[in-house]
Amino acid sequence: MGSPMEMNGGSVIAMTGKDCVAIASDLRLGQQAVGLSADFEKVFPINNQLYVGLPGFATDTYTLREHLRFRVNMYRMKEEREITPKTFAHLLSSTLYEKRFGPYFIEPVIAGIPAPSAIDPDPKPFICNMDTIGCITTPKDFVVAGTATDKLYGVAEGLWEPDLEPEDLFETISQTLLAAVDRDCISGWGAVVHVITKDKIITRHLKGRMD
Amino acid sequence: MSAPGGGGAYSFSLTTFSPSGKLVQIEHALAAVSGGQTSLGIKAKNGVVLATEKKTPSPLVDDSSLEKVAMICPNIGFVYAGMGPDYRVLVAKARKIAQSYWKVYGEYPPVKVLVADVAAVMQKATQSGGVRPYGISLLVCGWDNHRGQSLYQIDPSGSFWAWKASAIGKNMSNAKTFLEKRYSDDISLEDAIHTALLTLKEGFEGEMTEKTIEIGIASVPTAEQMEVKSGERLPATFRKLSEAEVRDYLAL
Amino acid sequence: MTECSFGITGKDFVLLASDQSAGRSIIKMKSDENKIRQLSPSLCMAYGGEPGDTENFVDFVERNLRLYQIRHNIELAPAPASAYIRRILAEAIRSRRPYVVSLLLGGYDKIKDESHLYWMDPYGTKVKVPYTANGLGIYVALSTMDKYWYPDITREEAGQLLKRCIDEVKLRLAYQFSFNAVEIDKDGVREYKLDGSA
Repeated sequence: MGSPMEMNGGSVIAMTGKDCVAIASDLRLGQQAVGLSADFEKVFPINNQLYVGLPGFATDTYTLREHLRFRVNMYRMKEEREITPKTFAHLLSSTLYEKRFGPYFIEPVIAGIPAPSAIDPDPKPFICNMDTIGCITTPKDFVVAGTATDKLYGVAEGLWEPDLEPEDLFETISQTLLAAVDRDCISGWGAVVHVITKDKIITRHLKGRMD
Repeated sequence: MSAPGGGGAYSFSLTTFSPSGKLVQIEHALAAVSGGQTSLGIKAKNGVVLATEKKTPSPLVDDSSLEKVAMICPNIGFVYAGMGPDYRVLVAKARKIAQSYWKVYGEYPPVKVLVADVAAVMQKATQSGGVRPYGISLLVCGWDNHRGQSLYQIDPSGSFWAWKASAIGKNMSNAKTFLEKRYSDDISLEDAIHTALLTLKEGFEGEMTEKTIEIGIASVPTAEQMEVKSGERLPATFRKLSEAEVRDYLAL
Repeated sequence: MTECSFGITGKDFVLLASDQSAGRSIIKMKSDENKIRQLSPSLCMAYGGEPGDTENFVDFVERNLRLYQIRHNIELAPAPASAYIRRILAEAIRSRRPYVVSLLLGGYDKIKDESHLYWMDPYGTKVKVPYTANGLGIYVALSTMDKYWYPDITREEAGQLLKRCIDEVKLRLAYQFSFNAVEIDKDGVREYKLDGSA
């Protein structure tokens, strides 16, 4: 059967830019080497300025997405506000750690921009990733996850530069993802990219090698 | 078969309404609150103040161990009127609620969320079997990023409201009348502390000293203070005034 | 596992086909077993996996969907039914006794006028697909489907495609299958005659 982390395939990447963040994933879902679907999205909106990517074991992608939708909806009603990226990261982290000894086989990636507040009128873009049991890492440049992790690191290391404008960030993250998944048998089959800026979200579907 | 105390058969079983639609035990709990020492709170434009009188039944009591204003988490504080032991139980529960929240979200709860949770605990005591309502009203003050500074009151029934200024306990109606006259929307925290002391002074029996007064304040932090530096904690926005600070305020 | 099933959607219909063999390992004990179950008026499931688990699981799903229909006086649409079935599998996989069942779920949503086809494995992985296969079928027939399927495919063409897939299975696999099939649309579920493939 192999490891659950490599059973369905799929990769996610997020990058920071100048007052913007981008998050992208491939669209493949497979059963080992056999591809089954080319429109399986692994990146989901949490609110207007926050996305989460859940690559890994596809059944857990679905289960965790439903669980998070429940938790975030309850949060929204109870607190009468939208959850911030950082708070959401902690919520997801504690959700994962709850299953410390029987984890979800998911390595999440989070990307978002916090809403401005009185105390912080000009909030910085936020990205982070975590392991299957919720240990958070918050780098300044980019985060990657999924079966093409090693390739993504290589390409991103070469292409990313600080303070990219939204359109340049879109180009950088798209090229990074497409180049990396071409070298991974179980990632690819098209991609979707979300660029989050203060006032809007740009979502684009990309075609890739379909083999 | 009337029970002593005047409430009749309806004054014992909490889960039973009286024919007039009242839960009499809750009214008795409010009576316990009205007999308690006066506490008050005032919301200012840059903070909130809680103040209470702290009188001991005998001069032999070591008052250093008495604590009426309590920090629940770094951004929220409580004060009460009514039964001391019930207050300690609720403070312990509230602190636990705040820490559980921190465990999940990595930050302390907004004031309203904590208030709603503590109010739920108090409401439960009006509907469960084998328990009585808490014999206290709470004043909750705090600051959070979402709503800024706020002041809430929670009653034994579990109902809660936000106030600009409120008083609970023995002298509450006089104190409220006094606050209504004195309050203005652009009052500063410093002025609010003085107003709080003046209000307490009305109807205060005995001498007001740093030993017979307790004060807690929630203040609005600057953006710089709320910036998280790695490995450091955010500074507390709620704190109790030291005896020296209270003495200074009383001297003015 | 010596099993094989197919699902093909068109704009207003779904075809589900399944092999009919029952046996253990390479031994065939029966070649006319029906392994497609009607779950509600316009929902069917072609299933395979551990015998015993399969019957138990399908009975459980079928009775619960029936219960829903009796309680609410409306049949559960394919999308929510698929979510419900997935949840049973996903919860069971982390329990002491998982169901070893994989399935294709085909249905017609009469309110939205849409055909639905879902692929699910025993872990609870669920994918909505226009056409798919399960068991040995995925290795020999998916490419046939990739080539001949298109969004506006007619019933006749879908029937021919299904025939091609079954022929491919007969040509390429050592194991001999017999198949049965159903057709699901706005009028409900009917048996679909596969000529010359029994």
